[in-house]
Amino acid sequence: MTRQVSKLCGMVMLGLLATLSQADESVVNSLHDLSVRGPGPIRAIHENEICIFCHTPHNGAPQTPLWNRENPRTHYRIYRSSTTDARIDQPSGPSKMCLSCHDGSMALGNVLSRPQTHPIVMTARTIPPGTADLSNDLSDDHPIGFRYDRALSNADPQIRAPELISSKLPLGTHDEMHCTTCHDPHNNQLGDFLRISDQMSVMCITCHDLQGWPHASHATSGKRTSGRTVDPVERLKYATVADNGCINCHKIHSANERERLLRFRREEDGCLNCHSGTIANFNIASEIRKRSSHDPTRRTGVHDPTENTLTMRRHSECTDCHNPHAAAPNPIGLVRGTLGPLVKGPNLRVSGISISGREVDHISYSYEMCLKCHADGVARPRLVTSRQVSQTNTRLEFQTSNPSFHPIAGPRRNADVVSLLSPLRVGSVITCIDCHNSDTARSFGGSGPNGPHGSIYEPLLVRNYNTDDFTSESAQAYALCYGCHNRDSILGDDSFSRHRRHIVDIRTPCSACHDAHGIYRGQGNSVNHGSLINFDLSIVQPADSPAGRRIAYEDTGRLSGNCTLTCHGFTHVTMPYSNAGPRKSALRPGKLSRGGRR
Amino acid sequence: MIGAKFLLISVAAVCCAITGLASSGIEGSKHDFSGQTGSDVDKCTACHIPKKDDAPKAAPLWNQRADLKRRFNGQDKRVSRPGDGTRICLQCHDGTIAKPVAGGVKTERFVYTKHPRLFTAGHGRSDHPVGVLYPTFSDDFHPIATVLSKGTVLLPHGRVECTSCHDPHNQTDAPFMLVRSNARSALCLTCHKK
Repeated sequence: MTRQVSKLCGMVMLGLLATLSQADESVVNSLHDLSVRGPGPIRAIHENEICIFCHTPHNGAPQTPLWNRENPRTHYRIYRSSTTDARIDQPSGPSKMCLSCHDGSMALGNVLSRPQTHPIVMTARTIPPGTADLSNDLSDDHPIGFRYDRALSNADPQIRAPELISSKLPLGTHDEMHCTTCHDPHNNQLGDFLRISDQMSVMCITCHDLQGWPHASHATSGKRTSGRTVDPVERLKYATVADNGCINCHKIHSANERERLLRFRREEDGCLNCHSGTIANFNIASEIRKRSSHDPTRRTGVHDPTENTLTMRRHSECTDCHNPHAAAPNPIGLVRGTLGPLVKGPNLRVSGISISGREVDHISYSYEMCLKCHADGVARPRLVTSRQVSQTNTRLEFQTSNPSFHPIAGPRRNADVVSLLSPLRVGSVITCIDCHNSDTARSFGGSGPNGPHGSIYEPLLVRNYNTDDFTSESAQAYALCYGCHNRDSILGDDSFSRHRRHIVDIRTPCSACHDAHGIYRGQGNSVNHGSLINFDLSIVQPADSPAGRRIAYEDTGRLSGNCTLTCHGFTHVTMPYSNAGPRKSALRPGKLSRGGRR
Repeated sequence: MIGAKFLLISVAAVCCAITGLASSGIEGSKHDFSGQTGSDVDKCTACHIPKKDDAPKAAPLWNQRADLKRRFNGQDKRVSRPGDGTRICLQCHDGTIAKPVAGGVKTERFVYTKHPRLFTAGHGRSDHPVGVLYPTFSDDFHPIATVLSKGTVLLPHGRVECTSCHDPHNQTDAPFMLVRSNARSALCLTCHKK
């Protein structure tokens, strides 16, 4: 008897278990089970049928799945984006069926199979505001109602060809995308009624073929996403960056930033959420608060991936220099002094402007990224120092055909440069961020992130660089220059025979005579603007000479030349210098190093 | 042991008695036209007209003038000729036919007064497909063997007919003369794997 009872109990339990395990895969007991015994907060008061809320066996709407609801007559505000190639239309077919509840306008219990006077009484008349309520504004939701065909995948290289899409994600009768492409209203096994899991963005990358994504930090990082800065309490679906994937930054529905479906209205919030020292390795938030910085918080809604670099408004957003879909970590242990000209992990697959002024989709050299804003565009920064010849277009300043330039875009074979510290030598190529970088940059011995996020030295310099007249020479005063140019060599007058006299004794800064970037070939030649000579007009005045009142430099051969100018009240008229012959520092190393410390 | 058996039997007997009392059958149901004014039919002859001369080919022999040109859920590719279990019902229930239901009953359109939208001849409306073969290889449906083994839903010749879901003789007392109660959509989910 007892054995039988226990057997019976066991069978009942088994049956229950079977029902429970089955429940997830079925509409029964899912959130779409709106019957009186449904599990969700929205359910019927008395009605105990499940299918009836959407389907009816008789006299349904003239739509395929025996539809039991009126279609909404709402005109929806649809998704628009400057970067989409899809022709997005008003939702149709199955999407409209979903929206008959989920736009929050139609009564849930108002079904065709019941008289309108006697609708099904529900706990909520319409879908209450919340995540399930998409409202009539679909511009903040992933687009639906566009044809996903070869034309689209051909136009957008980051969209996979429709043949490659898993059959688990069905398109409409005319290959159009519907709610039901991603969602299966009858199966809530994976949560959110998704057809396939969105863990590690599997759902998204079925269609979106983001270049560089498989190796991107955001796709592979196992860091936990707790302790975010901007939305510390909002729950993310998964625990780690890699698992969350796209939804770290994007919201598929009801996104705060509509066009890019971002979780935050301010673009930089999506980045600073993790990159404020809590989750990502480096604290960028503290960098951009420094005195000189590329501060992304200054502008909101200006950046657009399709922007014309010539006419865009001035701005600096994180995504101007970083492609979050492709950014990868930098290898640790880079050579001191230069990071090399090639593009680094964090800047992979960013658009830019080549040195010849051509737009490139993916930069090859890191300076191309800088030229986006600091070259031909009207948004480029103003001139800081007024010079003999002025140029704000850095692309022109760094042309390799210029009379003199710092070797950013290509090597320069100037034998006059004798002061370079190893491993640099004549013919080396450096990059913008060898000078313009964080003062705490890791590659310069600091503990902070590499890159020109922010620095305490203006204009965003990695080390101190005094440009004021009467600056007392010290290793600190011109630390920027001495990072590559040996101080002993400079002060030992290896190249210019009067360096020590000018810098130490008369206290003129490097910038009084030298332009740090370069002199465009259209504005000077190797005679009057060799050796980066471009006098600072706030320090150097013209001098009367037989050829008239003027400021002039003349290169007369290797390590020799003459100047015509007035500086610190002292007039030079074709005052010559020459340093041809053996290097002095090579002859007197001990004495010079002492002098260097003075 | 014997006590338990006796208990089970007696419980079963009581249950049967209760259901027997509750289930009304054709008598008194909406398909019982015998009491209607002007009608001279009894419970059966409203629908079943036995022809004594020749034996009926199909079990419920019915008037052959049923309008079978109507498309049943035309967008469904699986639609084929409905069987007897559908024809009989549509004799009255397609809403297009205005003809005497049975001798003596007024010639008028069959309308369900409580809910006029029903039986409006399917103009712009859709109904569950009838006369279709039960889909054998589909993830959306339970296997036909599972359905048949439950014994509630009948699939004559492997097809879905009106009588698959409806019992015109109203033996279960379920609303809409269903073959079983549709509480928790149990009837729908007998076939549909949703």
